[in-house]
Amino acid sequence: MDQFFQQLINGIVLGGIYALIAVGYTMVYGIIQLINFAHGEIFMLGAYIAFTLVNFLPIPLWVAIIVSMLFCAGIGMLMDFVAYKPLRSAPRLSALITAIGVSIGLQNLVRMVWGAKPQSFTEDKLPKLFRQVPFTDEPKSYFSIFGTSFNENAIQFSENVSLAYLDLTIILLAVVLMFGLNRLVSLTKIGKAMRACAQNRVAANLMGIKTNQVIAITFAIGSALGAVAGVMVGVRENISPIMGFHKGVAAFAAAVLGGIGNITGAMVGGLLMGLAEVFGAGYIDPFLEFVFHTIGLGGMYDNEIISHSYGSGYRIAISYIVMIFVILIRPTGLFGKSSAHRA
Amino acid sequence: MENRVKPKTNIILEIKNLIRKTLERFSLTSILIILLICLFPLLTYATDGIANLFSKWNIYLPIPSGGYILYISVQVCVYILLAVGLNIVCGYTGLLDLGYVAFYLVGGYTAGLLMRHVGFPYLLVVPVAILNGALWGLIRGAPTLRLTGDYFAIVTFGFGEVLFRIVKNEIWLIRDINGFVKDIPRASFFGLFELHQNWHHYYHILILTGIVIFVSHRLQHSRIGRAWIAIREDEQAAASMGINISRYKSLGFAISAAIGALGGAFLAQFWGNLSAKTFEFWESIIILCMVILGGKGSIKGAIIGAIIIGSMSEVLREILLKFPPAYSGARYLIFGIILVLLMRFRPAGLIFKKT
Repeated sequence: MDQFFQQLINGIVLGGIYALIAVGYTMVYGIIQLINFAHGEIFMLGAYIAFTLVNFLPIPLWVAIIVSMLFCAGIGMLMDFVAYKPLRSAPRLSALITAIGVSIGLQNLVRMVWGAKPQSFTEDKLPKLFRQVPFTDEPKSYFSIFGTSFNENAIQFSENVSLAYLDLTIILLAVVLMFGLNRLVSLTKIGKAMRACAQNRVAANLMGIKTNQVIAITFAIGSALGAVAGVMVGVRENISPIMGFHKGVAAFAAAVLGGIGNITGAMVGGLLMGLAEVFGAGYIDPFLEFVFHTIGLGGMYDNEIISHSYGSGYRIAISYIVMIFVILIRPTGLFGKSSAHRA
Repeated sequence: MENRVKPKTNIILEIKNLIRKTLERFSLTSILIILLICLFPLLTYATDGIANLFSKWNIYLPIPSGGYILYISVQVCVYILLAVGLNIVCGYTGLLDLGYVAFYLVGGYTAGLLMRHVGFPYLLVVPVAILNGALWGLIRGAPTLRLTGDYFAIVTFGFGEVLFRIVKNEIWLIRDINGFVKDIPRASFFGLFELHQNWHHYYHILILTGIVIFVSHRLQHSRIGRAWIAIREDEQAAASMGINISRYKSLGFAISAAIGALGGAFLAQFWGNLSAKTFEFWESIIILCMVILGGKGSIKGAIIGAIIIGSMSEVLREILLKFPPAYSGARYLIFGIILVLLMRFRPAGLIFKKT
């Protein structure tokens, strides 16, 4: 049971990250019906910017997050201006191909600048609460109530279940940003403009909304949220040029699951996708072991004729499979309205 | 009894007619080009000669060896084959296929595993690989029939990635980790003639590519090809004109996949080794880039796109080896820029403008 709760926590954290990225996909799709393939690359770029600032300059993490948000917002707007804006009236597949081109270009540009190897934040430069405790040391406990102990880097619920402060921060950040975004879209003037553009861009333009400006702001907001997710993933796991591709596709799958174009859908879809990935990866191998032993082929499993690392091997494929099935069975996703213009 | 004139079915006359027609249709330049393509291996010996002649300055003049040029031409021929195959889905039926590499993978692994572990002869492996490719094309095609546009693209992308993961993880099937299949025997015909030199492979792939181009060309101008183009232009109108959409689309998917598998089967014996890394997503994008560069729906465009991008890709791969490893991605950066610029300025392709 301990493992279940630990996986649940991991799934929620991953879900928060996916939700932050998925919002970027879904907002852009909602307004210009473009699968912004390069959004994952923005996410990766955000991580690299913060990494450079924190590791090589004496800048604290929270400042680095804000700088990277601003930087990525700028890059997102620039991307829209250079690559997508000239193609507004072109066929949609042209824009998709452009997005793929931008994605490959950015990814390999980063590979040339920062190198292909995975890197990670230097522990000493991170805030104290976010640092890893070496395995040999017993983590220092500040205080404990009801059997829950507050350690120097994590909240220890029981012996095997803990929630790192970093993960707690990710969850809180995701919730706060999502709530803020929700309020922004539903209450402010720019949010109203966005919704108008999503409904009918031409009509919105006729009503005096500067659609290009609104689209640029959408790109900026999506990219900034992606950058936050990028930095958090960078601190939690590591940073590599390929991270944007992997997490980006999973987040896109989350957006599709929630119903692309729908912001609430992206949040819920992200959470579900995170849980699906963590539980899938965690329980495939024990499940297979159980199945093979039950049907009397235990020897085949024990002799490693069947791989024992399906969990890690297929981890990324889980999101692809979910995405394919959602598109095939219910293309509108969980929350999407059925729309005639989409196949 | 009525006097019916029996149509002449004299085979020699037919062939004579065909040659006469061909000569009438092809100009001198095209015959020269065909000769050049056919005699290309001889020319590479000439570059060897030049390299020997200038061997003193070889450090300053990087004249590639004939074998290397021939090796690259084989690769380019494979790319032509793949681009023509992808052109069927992307060009004729107008659907964006982001996972074409999946069929290339299916063909490669079918051929590689059967030749390496089961001991099938090459001549038997090729039809099996083609059929398997077509089967996977149908498996992917059947559920995606009603999808269009970006959703189709995303599903094909996901499908390609899933197949890539399967090859990487199913060690009972591949019998090695990371999709390695080592020491695949070279193709041999009835045990008499084994392909072991680059020029053997060159003529082999030239014939295969020729057949594929011919088939694709005949298809384009047949009832089937017209049906595909009608589907591309307006699916509903095509359906109302009596075209069976699902049947023709499935046929397109199957043929395109079969061609991809043929390319994979050839490569498996040409390289002698397979690795899952060869079949990453980016490979699909390179092939897509070729089709788009030449102009979707045009065979000539696909061929020329494949020659340009394929040779550029191979040459860049060699050049970038001399740089730090981080720069190995630079060729993909260039492809990305090419895609963006093409879509911006010449969405119908650089070489041919197809209305």
